Amino acid sequence: MRDTPAALDPISFTIEFVTEYYPFIIEGFLTTVEMTFLGLAGGFVLGILAALGDVYGSKWLRVIINGYVEFFRGSPLIVQLLFFYFSIPDITGLNWDAFTAGAVTLMLNSGAYQKGYFKGAIEAVFKDQLVAAKSLGMTFGQTLRHVVLPQALRIVIPPWTNEYVSLGLSTSALIVLGIRELTNISKTIAAQTFRPLEVYLFASAIYFVWITVSMKIFDWIYEKVKIPGLEVSM
Amino acid sequence: MFTFNDFLFLLQGVPNTLAISFLSFALGFGLGIPTAIVKQFPKYGLNYVADAYIKLMRGIPVLVFMLLFHFGMAGIVPLFKSAFLSATFALGFRSGAFQSQIFRGAMNSVGRNQMMAAVSLGMTRWQAFRHVILPQAFIVALPGLGSEIALLIKDSSYAFVLGVLELTKYSDIVRKATRSFFFPYLAAAIIYILITFPIANYLDRMGSRLKSRYGLR
Repeated sequence: MRDTPAALDPISFTIEFVTEYYPFIIEGFLTTVEMTFLGLAGGFVLGILAALGDVYGSKWLRVIINGYVEFFRGSPLIVQLLFFYFSIPDITGLNWDAFTAGAVTLMLNSGAYQKGYFKGAIEAVFKDQLVAAKSLGMTFGQTLRHVVLPQALRIVIPPWTNEYVSLGLSTSALIVLGIRELTNISKTIAAQTFRPLEVYLFASAIYFVWITVSMKIFDWIYEKVKIPGLEVSM
Repeated sequence: MFTFNDFLFLLQGVPNTLAISFLSFALGFGLGIPTAIVKQFPKYGLNYVADAYIKLMRGIPVLVFMLLFHFGMAGIVPLFKSAFLSATFALGFRSGAFQSQIFRGAMNSVGRNQMMAAVSLGMTRWQAFRHVILPQAFIVALPGLGSEIALLIKDSSYAFVLGVLELTKYSDIVRKATRSFFFPYLAAAIIYILITFPIANYLDRMGSRLKSRYGLR
């Protein structure tokens, strides 16, 4: 049993397991990153569409979009994962594996959060500009493409970075579907090596470095693409 | 078949979900205020400790903390032999970092001018902070605290992985027992929404009501 506090003894503290298990750790980390990017990319498309629908759409469209957002923002990701993984095959007879179910649920979840950020960014673009664009003879699509989105996509970077961080960390919830991402792999290694303390600390370090480096990159992009004099705050 | 009795059975998970959420919120409150103060008044290098704490909590999944506490540290800290307490402390430590950010934002929004005015009236910086800035900062922080509680209620579902008998675990039990794949999780999701929404909404409204009463922005 775990009763002997081996971890108190500094000599026995070892991360030797890394030499043996590093292929699995890398595999787990890559799955985590892959899931994060799948979720973000799908959520990006869903989020923009939902935000545009909420700002410019009809009343009924708005009701549907807000119902979608309320469901995914109001309930835990774990429950959503279990719900979609088990219920979709049950209703449709369609069989899907845990990976697809996980990716689709992450997309739907992230889309609901990203909708809020995009909506804020779209609304932060001054209304006068829409009138001005119209007076220049631009169609709605042209205004969106050349006036609203170029500004909104720049404004949205900082809140979007938050979504990246929180979705990246939430991928640990995929453990409930048995997907072999970093947390799940760590749990397996911890059980096999009887070194839970070291294994989870090591996993924490990987998550931490990954998130910190990603945030630095997004900050750099934000500075790089920013239009001087047009810093609109949300 | 998922019956009404199954739904009632499911509800037995709610007390534990609420207990985890509110205990971790209280812990986070206790940690968040000192962290925010230490960051606001840098002294003895404690602000670097607060910084590291906030960064760490922001960069590591709360589930990994739960697993680390329960499986990795139970031998060192006897408290963590309980899965319930491991989950609560993991959520509480993270909430402390998040709440410190909320309080700091609120303190900054109250502004330096009032601090200067208070100091010019002969108050010490600490007195000014304690009697002028902090009471107002609480009001400004209310909506943020509301969404923090909602986040904790949702993230208490991570305790499911440790086997704590909370709402998600109960819905999983009902799914296995009834072999109904649709309703147990949907019911759980709706219960979560019904719990989080009024709390966040109430604090949000109370925040804006008090703000307009005291003329805060």
